[in-house]
Amino acid sequence: MSDNESPPRRKLYDDEEDEEEEDSEGSEDVENEGSRKKPKRVKQRQKRDALSRFLDIEAEVSDEEEEDEDLSSEGEAGFITKEGALPEDEDEDDLSGRHHARVDKRRQAEEYRAEKSAEEIARELADRYGRGGGGHRRFTGEMSEIPQRLLMPSVHDASLWQVRVKPGREREIVFSLMRKSLDLEYTNKPVSILSAFQRDSLPGMIYVEARSAQQVSQACNGLVGVYPSRGIHLVPIDEMALLLMIKKVDGGEKIVPGTWVRLKRGKYAGDLAQVVDVTENGEEVGVRFVPRIDLNPREDDGGGRKRKKNPAPNTTNPSSSSSSRPPQRLFNFEEVIKVYGRNAVSKRGQVFVFLGDTYKDGFVEKDIKLNSIILEDVNPTLDEITMFSANNTNLEETMVDLSIIAEASRKAALAVLQPGDHVEVFQGEQAGLHGTVQEIHGDTLTIIALDPALHSQKIDLPARSVRKRFKPGDHVKVMQGKNTGETGLVVSVADTNNSRTMNENTIVTFISDMSMQEISVFSKDLREAAEVGNTTNIVGEYELHDLVQLDLQTVGVIYKTHQSSFLILTQHSQSRLVHPHQISLKKDKSDSLRSIATDSHGFEIRVGDMMKESEGEQRKGRVLHIHQSHFAFLFNRDIAENGGVFVTRARGLVSITPKGALGAGKLPPGADLTKMNPAAAGGAQGLGPNPSGAASGGGGLVGSAIGRGPRDRLIGAHVVVIKGPHKGYVGIVKDTNGVGLTALARVELNTGNKIISIEKGKLHRKLWGNNNNNNGSGGRTPGWGGRTPFGSGGRTPFGAGAGAGVGGGRTPNPYAAGNQTPAWNTGSKTPNPYAHGNAGGGNQTPAWNVGSKTPNPYTLGGGGGGGGGQTPAWNVGGRTPNPYVNKNSTSGNGGDGGGGNSTWGGATPGRWDSDRNEDNGSHKDGGGRGGWGSPIPAGSGSGIGGWGADISSSSSWNAPTPAFGAPTPSGLGYAPTPVIPSTPGYGQQQIASTPAPTYSDYESNAAPTPEPSPTWLLDPTLSLHLSVLHIRILGTKLDKYLDGAFEGVQARVLAASRVGDSFEQTALIKIEGWPEGSSEGDDSQSERSFPIRYLQPVAPATQDATAVILYGPRKGEKVKMRQRPDEGSRTEVVVVESVVESGGTSREGGGGEEGGGGGGGAFWECQKDWMCVCW
Amino acid sequence: MSDAASAIIPPTKSRHLRACLLCSIIQTSADFRSIGCPNCEEILQLKDNPDRILACTTSYFDGVIALIDTETSWVARWQRTAKYARGMYAARVKGRVPEDVEAELDSRGIKYRPRDQSEQD
Repeated sequence: MSDNESPPRRKLYDDEEDEEEEDSEGSEDVENEGSRKKPKRVKQRQKRDALSRFLDIEAEVSDEEEEDEDLSSEGEAGFITKEGALPEDEDEDDLSGRHHARVDKRRQAEEYRAEKSAEEIARELADRYGRGGGGHRRFTGEMSEIPQRLLMPSVHDASLWQVRVKPGREREIVFSLMRKSLDLEYTNKPVSILSAFQRDSLPGMIYVEARSAQQVSQACNGLVGVYPSRGIHLVPIDEMALLLMIKKVDGGEKIVPGTWVRLKRGKYAGDLAQVVDVTENGEEVGVRFVPRIDLNPREDDGGGRKRKKNPAPNTTNPSSSSSSRPPQRLFNFEEVIKVYGRNAVSKRGQVFVFLGDTYKDGFVEKDIKLNSIILEDVNPTLDEITMFSANNTNLEETMVDLSIIAEASRKAALAVLQPGDHVEVFQGEQAGLHGTVQEIHGDTLTIIALDPALHSQKIDLPARSVRKRFKPGDHVKVMQGKNTGETGLVVSVADTNNSRTMNENTIVTFISDMSMQEISVFSKDLREAAEVGNTTNIVGEYELHDLVQLDLQTVGVIYKTHQSSFLILTQHSQSRLVHPHQISLKKDKSDSLRSIATDSHGFEIRVGDMMKESEGEQRKGRVLHIHQSHFAFLFNRDIAENGGVFVTRARGLVSITPKGALGAGKLPPGADLTKMNPAAAGGAQGLGPNPSGAASGGGGLVGSAIGRGPRDRLIGAHVVVIKGPHKGYVGIVKDTNGVGLTALARVELNTGNKIISIEKGKLHRKLWGNNNNNNGSGGRTPGWGGRTPFGSGGRTPFGAGAGAGVGGGRTPNPYAAGNQTPAWNTGSKTPNPYAHGNAGGGNQTPAWNVGSKTPNPYTLGGGGGGGGGQTPAWNVGGRTPNPYVNKNSTSGNGGDGGGGNSTWGGATPGRWDSDRNEDNGSHKDGGGRGGWGSPIPAGSGSGIGGWGADISSSSSWNAPTPAFGAPTPSGLGYAPTPVIPSTPGYGQQQIASTPAPTYSDYESNAAPTPEPSPTWLLDPTLSLHLSVLHIRILGTKLDKYLDGAFEGVQARVLAASRVGDSFEQTALIKIEGWPEGSSEGDDSQSERSFPIRYLQPVAPATQDATAVILYGPRKGEKVKMRQRPDEGSRTEVVVVESVVESGGTSREGGGGEEGGGGGGGAFWECQKDWMCVCW
Repeated sequence: MSDAASAIIPPTKSRHLRACLLCSIIQTSADFRSIGCPNCEEILQLKDNPDRILACTTSYFDGVIALIDTETSWVARWQRTAKYARGMYAARVKGRVPEDVEAELDSRGIKYRPRDQSEQD
């Protein structure tokens, strides 16, 4: 018995390994005296054998069993006592005598065997060697035959209890429980649990098998890291087996050569590696990966040599490897020996050994423990794989590699399936079937088969058995990966099934819609999509072809966008991969638009021009950006390189656009005066250099001519919406997208801070803060002339310019009238109702004088006297000073304001009255209009025009006028505020009693003006003086009245009286003088009846001439000229003295203004053309 | 409690724990070398045979079970370790025994059940 060391004892003490374990002799030797006693012992043993040979054997056998049991149940103590029972003889006989006993025993056994039956012997042997001990229990695998399902727990089994423990210490605690239960086994409080276990995939908990929860808590009591207080939960019986069946979700078992893995630690942490082989037990894998050999060791050569002696590569250069690891690079023998010396590398066949690592074909080949590689989520990128396949000329093998990746990302592929996807089954019973995905439940798909034989049957399939199916011609979109967002047409579908397994991914090649290049992706990354991808054009706030600033010195143009990065071509023609955060600044588009460079001919280059290199490759392209006037980025779709973007010196470019078309645009804005001049631009159709100007007609589209200007002048303008749902809203133009009435403008409304897009045609420019602008027109208008399609259209400016415009039918549109354009042109061509409400129809509306430069809107409004159709003509050129500006007389604005009045201006009079009365305080005249103001801006004498005259025709011929007046709005003749000297302190205006119009002639006489009011002569206030009025005949030529024979004839009125409205009003005149150069008619014709509408008053031309006031509050008064009138000015304000005649009295009104009312007559001022001279 | 022997309980912090591919017992590689596998030594012959130890045991296992009462424990039965020595066992062991062991088992009419849970019935 003692010849066998008991296994339990040994195990418990964890003895040192004993080589001669089997042989009791050896161990006895060690335990006892030693080898020197050997002979003696043998002798003694022999002695003793005789006594107890048989017994010995029996004892040995039984003892062994007993011992086993005892030890396992009672432990050491029992064993020792047992040992102690024998020693008596052993004390005297050396224990080592056992050796002999054994020898004898063997002999006896042989004898014994001979005596016994074979069965007995066999049983004995089985008993003897069946378990543990010196021999090993035969491995029987007794339970392996039972199917697992029969092992399921029953109610009779102990329960499993879940116990919370400190995460990370589960394994430790399970060990502790084991040790504790062994330690306490024979104490008063044995641990009564049956087992405990832990699973790596269930962190923070262990499971204990016990009959009750109390036993569990008792067992766990005192263990650090166990939290019984958090509950000891019973595991339901049906979940018990599951806990032990948990399969760690990793690819551990599917490692096969070719698999991609990543290295976990060391210098190569994170690097991709490929499995070359796997050791038998799957514990280590041979991998190859791209080495990172430091070819620039920090130390000098000596250090390098020292390093190479160091066998451990990891410690060779800790500093450099930790600070920055060398780049991945295939092993190159020459390079390495250059740096590290020839001795560092040894060659064995095809393999190099360097610093303990083996290099083959440039890769490191190494056996690595399974737990130091990452098997999941490897996701090798194409770049990484390319490094591996660089040497791999065999295309076939490359494909295999790809299929392995596909395999590895199988789970990802599952997530990619979506209802509606077109899939085909590639494995299982249904292989070959295809259909569309209907539903997805976890790993199960329901598809509707497309096979007609199956009648659209719904079939459930495991998700992994299907793959997406595409066919050439499908339009697809890439859902993930580097090419995300690309779309294109499938051109081929390659099956990777050439490798050993059926594969769920095919490689689909399609032609990108954007780059027109072939792109190959896995079918799992694709979806069918109708859209044409442009999503990759924008990354964050950056867009394809944006000019961006990379650092202070470098700018570049984005020529390709990826999912979160771009490729940028810098101004030095380098291509860079850049991430959004590396961009310091996006160059504003307008920067580039404003930047100007010149080409090789000195012409200006602008963004968008088509240019060609004058030398070198002569590449053509459209200018995308200009940088610092030196570099030009061009784009040409036909160039494959850099996405078609290239950079070149601006000076090396020539335009390939015909020069003529660029002519106008080439001039910097501001240089081209004609363009700046709205009058010219609008009116001088065909004159302008710009064809588009002509095309614009009266529409005011002139803007296109300036379209090349830096930016739309409209931007920033205050506008009011005149049409549509936003009508009446005021806002600021933020942006425009072109010219023309239909172009859209983005308008930020003042209300609600809202931005709307609206057609320009629905906008009207609103002018802020110019209300007091006296001479607005000249300077101001150009600004919006051409460009503004609305407003009065290109036309408006005229008014400004010249005042030549006759006030045809113009509505006093406040907008159009704006302070700035005091005068309006008539011939409204513009559709804008505001501007031209009644063009042509001037009849009803009072016409305004044009020329008015009046600063004051009010004045202005009333200023010019336009004659409405019915309105008696008014004289224009009223002298009246602007009530606002100067109370009296001051000239401020000279001009011949029209005095007129009567019905005029249905629209405004009301306003006028009040204004005027306030300011002037005068005029109570029946006409009421006396003072009105109209400080006509004197502009040039021409301001007048606006009589209504025969309106029917007026619009038609008014229209052309602008052309005349137009060219130079600022021309001297039309100077906005000539400030005609006015007589100070003029008193009241005379009131002309007759409706006879005063006629003032134009110097310029752009066009013959018909008398403003056809019936002026019939005004009752003039009746007293009728016979002395000096008139002349004007306008007959135009109307072909009597062939115009009397045109220009001077005459005296003999009589005039009103007849029925249906008849032409005529007057009897006596012709006093024929115009020079015309043949004098005979006397018989000297007295004749003549339509009043052709009769025009003649303004006084000499001092002391008598005249009758035709307009204003003092209408009908007879005055004497007290100043020598200037023939050059028709609207001059002259000093007159009232002639007191019978019945004629000067009026009170405007008393304050009277310069000095002296005895017989009062001196006052009157505008010349308000008077009609007397014979 | 049971007449089963107790295996050596490895120190908790041991870094070189390995599990027997056949019986899934966990020991340090030193223990395997010194005493072999307490359950399968007869067939695996691990003792003093490092190469054999490498081939028949693995450090790649998952889940540690403390088997205290092997006879009555359901866990032991489920793991088919009820007749084995008390000790620490792995819930799951990756890998298969070498082919010669499989052949030997086969010749004895013992069904080999890999402990990686790849086969279930």
